[in-house]
Amino acid sequence: MTMRLVAAELVDSRQILPGQWLQSFHAPELASGARAGQFVHVRTGDYSGLVLRRPFSINTADAATGIITLHFRTVGRGTEWMTRVREGEKLDMLGPLGRPFEVDPRSHHLLLIAGGLGMAGVRMLADEAIRDGRSVTVLFGAANAGHVYPSSLLPDEVEYVVATDDGSMGHHGFVTELMADYEAWADQAFACGPHPMLKRLAALAAGRRERMGVAKLGRRGGGKTDATGSAAARRKSFLQVAMEQTMGCAVGACLGCTVIGVDGPLRVCREGPVFAAEEISWEAIQ
Amino acid sequence: MKGRKKVVTAMDALPARSKRSSPPKNRKGAPSPLDRAMGLGGRPRIETGSAAIADLGTAPSPQPTMSEREALDRIDLSVDIAPERGLLLTNPILVASGTFGYGVEYGEVVDVQRIGAICCKGTTLRPRAGNAPPRVTETPGGMLNAIGLQNPGVDAVIDKYGPIWQGWKVPVIVNIAGESIEDYVEVAKRLDGVPGVAGIELNISCPNVGKGGLQFAIDRDAARAVTTAVRRATELPLLVKLSPNVTDVRPIAKAIEEAGADAITAINTLSGLAVSSDRTRAFLGNTYGGLSGPAVKPVALRIVYEVAQVVSIPIVAIGGVTNLDDVLDFLACGAVAVQVGTAIFADPELPVRLGDELRAECLRRGLASYKPLIGTALPKRTGTPSAKGAEYRP
Ligand SMILES: Cc1cc2nc3c(=O)[nH]c(=O)nc-3n(C[C@H](O)[C@H](O)[C@H](O)COP(=O)(O)O)c2cc1C
Ligand code: FES
Repeated sequence: MTMRLVAAELVDSRQILPGQWLQSFHAPELASGARAGQFVHVRTGDYSGLVLRRPFSINTADAATGIITLHFRTVGRGTEWMTRVREGEKLDMLGPLGRPFEVDPRSHHLLLIAGGLGMAGVRMLADEAIRDGRSVTVLFGAANAGHVYPSSLLPDEVEYVVATDDGSMGHHGFVTELMADYEAWADQAFACGPHPMLKRLAALAAGRRERMGVAKLGRRGGGKTDATGSAAARRKSFLQVAMEQTMGCAVGACLGCTVIGVDGPLRVCREGPVFAAEEISWEAIQ
Repeated sequence: MKGRKKVVTAMDALPARSKRSSPPKNRKGAPSPLDRAMGLGGRPRIETGSAAIADLGTAPSPQPTMSEREALDRIDLSVDIAPERGLLLTNPILVASGTFGYGVEYGEVVDVQRIGAICCKGTTLRPRAGNAPPRVTETPGGMLNAIGLQNPGVDAVIDKYGPIWQGWKVPVIVNIAGESIEDYVEVAKRLDGVPGVAGIELNISCPNVGKGGLQFAIDRDAARAVTTAVRRATELPLLVKLSPNVTDVRPIAKAIEEAGADAITAINTLSGLAVSSDRTRAFLGNTYGGLSGPAVKPVALRIVYEVAQVVSIPIVAIGGVTNLDDVLDFLACGAVAVQVGTAIFADPELPVRLGDELRAECLRRGLASYKPLIGTALPKRTGTPSAKGAEYRP
């Protein structure tokens, strides 16, 4: 679906965690065309000198009701302004933008890994996968129990595994440490979160091929290599990551949002935000 | 807008105006004597910040009636920004280099053919990977960017976009950058005669490797030398873009005019810095970034105002344009056209809408062309050029 400027009407807004909000918007144009991994660029109030839109992952999209949801944390004046928008008011959204996650048709077991707000990046993929009859495990990491994404907001079919830095809920440690228990089960993994988390996951995914043995190599598409950035390249990759970067235009015009890829700079807004882990030059990522 | 129909008849009855006889006094919305005579109030303004929807800025304006439509169409917004060689635009609202890519990226949401001209991303002789991320960040009333001139190189730009631009009605001006005079000259030569390339904008805010990394833009002799050399290399209309990061821009602007530039564009970004949230380093990968957006408008106005008093080639103003008032301010300070940059990110339709709004403004004021709006705020050129502006040098 091509991008467009849409007037999205706020229909519901609630704080689901301290400083974290879930807002629902009536925006049928976005709800029917968007895919998991894509994002919208939201214009904030034209006051106090805010000049840039804010990018948000499309958290969920329901074509039947025309509703999309955004999940965000108040990090500055733009997001604070959004929490004060009232039901019935309309926000100017540009979207859907970027490239989505690509699930290999042969993948039955999907592992979704999210760190904190990264849940918003993979949340919609859970819906899509369950709709398509796949089984989904979500690994989620947060600082403490107070920041754990409520399981009530996930589909019932999902297996939900939590890690907290302080051990106040679930596994005591990083979410990446849970990967070992699931890498054999998973056919593909999809992650969103802080760059160090993604970097660690990419290293684990790179080593997985050897750990799994030759048998698993067969399904990686033979000798033919797919063009970097192509949907096919992502589809064949075990680990896909949704990256974040500060943005200007969000349509590929300003080159403000790049991350370093193995073949040079990649625009998160255009070539991404979803990349095959192999496309990213992880040494360059802090 | 109320009362448009009356304006139509009024305009038809009005004689052509010279800029001396009727300086527009109405820029800030107070009714001018002319408006009062015609029974018109000030231009209605959208109150911003109150409700979310008011900030959209995309609300459709009431459809003009048939006779209004005809009257609007008759208003002449065309301008030649390089009169000696010819670079005719259908309207004076351009998009600024680096904020509109190669004109194709916004194609799905903007009718690019209705823009006055497109200045494409800075283009260099060889491909450049640009700076380390992060490359952009928001600042009060603006943003900092340090893209580092990422581009595929002039040959790839010509191959990839030349054929597309050739089919466009909107002129494309290629913004070029280099690290030596030879680089600039070579890029200009390769662009010369390429169908679809309407002109060149020299970005001289680049380090001159041959001169110890000193920017061309801050050194009058280097600015003159690079302009002279590129002028010899191409017959394309040549615009030279000034940097604001100088003590006095006027000698540089004069040198550029003498070296044969067709027009001056001003300004490029102001050098700035942002600090990381943990305050352990600079935020941007490149440490320094260029400030743009509404925050730089007063600086841009000052520079346009100063340059307009020392050169006679056209000036295209850039810096913080976000609404029609900004356009009118720059015209009043002597610019014949303006470029919109950062504001596009929030409001991609703005450049096209500004053209429409300028047209409506002319109609409202009973002007057949926007040209009488140019230079009205400049000191009257009675004797020697004013030294105003040189006095305050913080
Ligand atoms: C992201 C970004 C990239 C830019 N890249 C270039 C460039 O390649 N060449 C150039 O001459 N100016 C470049 N500029 C400067 C703009 O063309 C313009 O001069 C400046 O942003 C001021 O205008 P504004 O306040 O309307 O943005 C860039 C500006 C931005 C924000
Ligand atoms: S944000 Fe402008 S290119 Fe991605």
